[in-house]
Amino acid sequence: MWYRFQYRYAPYLFVAPFIISFLIFGFYPIVRSIWLSFHLTAGPETSVFVGLDNYTVLLADTDFHKAVRNTVIFAFFSVFLQLPLSLGLAMLLNSRLILGRAFFRLGFFSPHLLGMVFVAILFAVVFAPRFGLLNVLLSHLGAPIERDWLGTPELVMPALVLTALWLYVGFNMVYFLAALQAVDRDLYDAAKVDGAGPWGQFLHVTLPGIKHVTVFVVVLSTIGSFQLFELPYLMLNNGPGPDQAGLTVVMYLYQNGFVTGDLGYASAIGWVLVLGVMCLAIFQLVLGGTLRRNP
Amino acid sequence: MSSAINRLKERMESFTAFGLAPAVLLVLTLISGVYIAFNPAQTIRGDLALWIFAKGHLAGYQESIARFEEMHPDLTVEIQLVHQHAITSRLRAALAANLDVPDLVEIEISWAGSFFRGPVDDVSFMDLRPWLEESGYIDKIVRTRFAPYSVGDRIFGIPHDVHPVMLAYRRDIFEAEGIDVDEIETWDQFIEIGKRLTRRGGTNPRYMIGLDPNSSDSFEVLLFQRGGAYFNERGELTIDDELVVQTLLWFIPLVAGPDRIGVNPGWGAPFARAVLDGYILCYITPDWRTKIIENDVGDASGKMALMPLPAFEPGGRRTSTWGGTMLGITRGTENPEKALELAEHLYLNHELLLEMFQKSNILPPLRDLWDDPVFDQPREFWSGQPLGRLYADLADDVPPQYSSPYVSITKAKMGQVISGLTAHYNRHGEDGFEEQVRQRLNEAADYVRGQMARNPF
Repeated sequence: MWYRFQYRYAPYLFVAPFIISFLIFGFYPIVRSIWLSFHLTAGPETSVFVGLDNYTVLLADTDFHKAVRNTVIFAFFSVFLQLPLSLGLAMLLNSRLILGRAFFRLGFFSPHLLGMVFVAILFAVVFAPRFGLLNVLLSHLGAPIERDWLGTPELVMPALVLTALWLYVGFNMVYFLAALQAVDRDLYDAAKVDGAGPWGQFLHVTLPGIKHVTVFVVVLSTIGSFQLFELPYLMLNNGPGPDQAGLTVVMYLYQNGFVTGDLGYASAIGWVLVLGVMCLAIFQLVLGGTLRRNP
Repeated sequence: MSSAINRLKERMESFTAFGLAPAVLLVLTLISGVYIAFNPAQTIRGDLALWIFAKGHLAGYQESIARFEEMHPDLTVEIQLVHQHAITSRLRAALAANLDVPDLVEIEISWAGSFFRGPVDDVSFMDLRPWLEESGYIDKIVRTRFAPYSVGDRIFGIPHDVHPVMLAYRRDIFEAEGIDVDEIETWDQFIEIGKRLTRRGGTNPRYMIGLDPNSSDSFEVLLFQRGGAYFNERGELTIDDELVVQTLLWFIPLVAGPDRIGVNPGWGAPFARAVLDGYILCYITPDWRTKIIENDVGDASGKMALMPLPAFEPGGRRTSTWGGTMLGITRGTENPEKALELAEHLYLNHELLLEMFQKSNILPPLRDLWDDPVFDQPREFWSGQPLGRLYADLADDVPPQYSSPYVSITKAKMGQVISGLTAHYNRHGEDGFEEQVRQRLNEAADYVRGQMARNPF
């Protein structure tokens, strides 16, 4: 009797702590934020139902458009600049010809150990006009020492992308490295016998071998890029930077929710972000063939 | 005996029906759950909770709170230092959840208005007007400092400061260049001298004044000095007024284009280097910033001095204001009388305010105090000038800043206008500049008015 009871109910007992925590800290806030996105709020006690008004205003909001554009540009470079660099580094450090591979792997990965807040503060100093390390270095090549990287709208995004490169190239390299090491060496030998050169081997052996990890890293980088907040917020002195060149979707959400106090509008931004990222992730998974059923 | 052992084995096997690991996890969960249930985290919350964001206030408050607790042995006060940007989000979350709401909280001037959204009866702070009137403080405090913390007739915060603005300048370099600051009365004269002293480009550039070309920080100080504002006393947006247009037409060429005399001084280490190297000669300096300069640029002691802002026209206003803090008492406090007593002790106690001035250089908003000799003490760092007296002499002329829930949005929009205009002026100079100014201001004003129109409360 006891055994049957236990067999039937023990699984529920084990998952109960998670389910209860999720309902309180996950599910309720999600439902509450949906409710909020259909309301205009002012302070803790006042709200009024506005239907889809927050969403319609948001879609016509020029600041939101700017935030989306900046975030998409950052995500584009995260995927199309950062990931090829990570893959290249991984291939280089997977080669047996490189001496001290362990040292270089640690070296390239180590920026990620510092954490984004520290890196943001560090690079704010690196990009400072006149006294910043980058300007001092460039001045030896004849460039102007007063270039205000974080104060010139056109230079803000390159500065953010460069900082993110430094931070994440080594991190993504680790994923690619693990995937490369799992590719069967015999396939390379077979490809060589079939007359494949280095490019052919890369295209027909390496890439298919690391496809699933690549899709995973692309999806992860895209989601991470769309959640960008701390880096521009700290590098640009707690704001969106000149001409809002560093305004991201999450920063805009934060501004509306916690600076202006419009939690309804901020919730609408959050849900539009969720839907956008979800569509993008599904698109990437479909494109990468990850959702295809195995024959 | 053996049957008993077998029964125990069976029991054990049934207990570990899903393997040993889940059983161990369950036991650990039970042990830790029971431990936590019987050893709840110790609360450090006192009878009154005070949140502040300014590190500079902390040391003074700790001492005075200790004295307050001595005067009220039955009362404990918990003080929490929360970062300026976190304090508003934490407060909003606390108010929304009605959980751990502080009894008293300090809020920075540009964030205060966002707490006054919605019907005035629902504002989360106590209306302090009745108490201020009854105690007579309303007439003793600089009247304009209530404006940012008021909605209609209600006053939701006690001002911590006045924050008059002066120009801090490199006295030694000015003297070496033969410039007598007493002869600089207007901005026109200042700019003329600035053009002579500024060296753009090259390996050793130098600029007359630190001005931020990408945010509203510097611009608004000058706009306020000229009598402009983001909002008027009725809460109406005024950023597209002609005065704002004219001030932008004047300001942007100071920070952009071939004749610029201003550059962004930055904060922290770059700012300290700029002061020390003489990269920038003058800095817009409210009273609170003098302490930052003293702390961060100690080597500049004796080389710096203060002068009033040049006026926009002869005989015009020689100061402005930058920054500010209010102390509010939340409506949900269980000890409103004690909270008021603490507020009075921290913000309006003469002895304490004089001590605070000596520690922070911040001029208190109580006029009666300004006659105290402590304000006349010469300061070595500032070339022997009596810092307190210089600021006190200007304090009554500080312009008002009116409250609105949309101040933070407006500031952000104005920053966007300024950085856009800076970029435009750098590329095209005067060509189409005025049209750009008007167009960008109109766009920004339309945006803010659009947001305001959505507020049904």
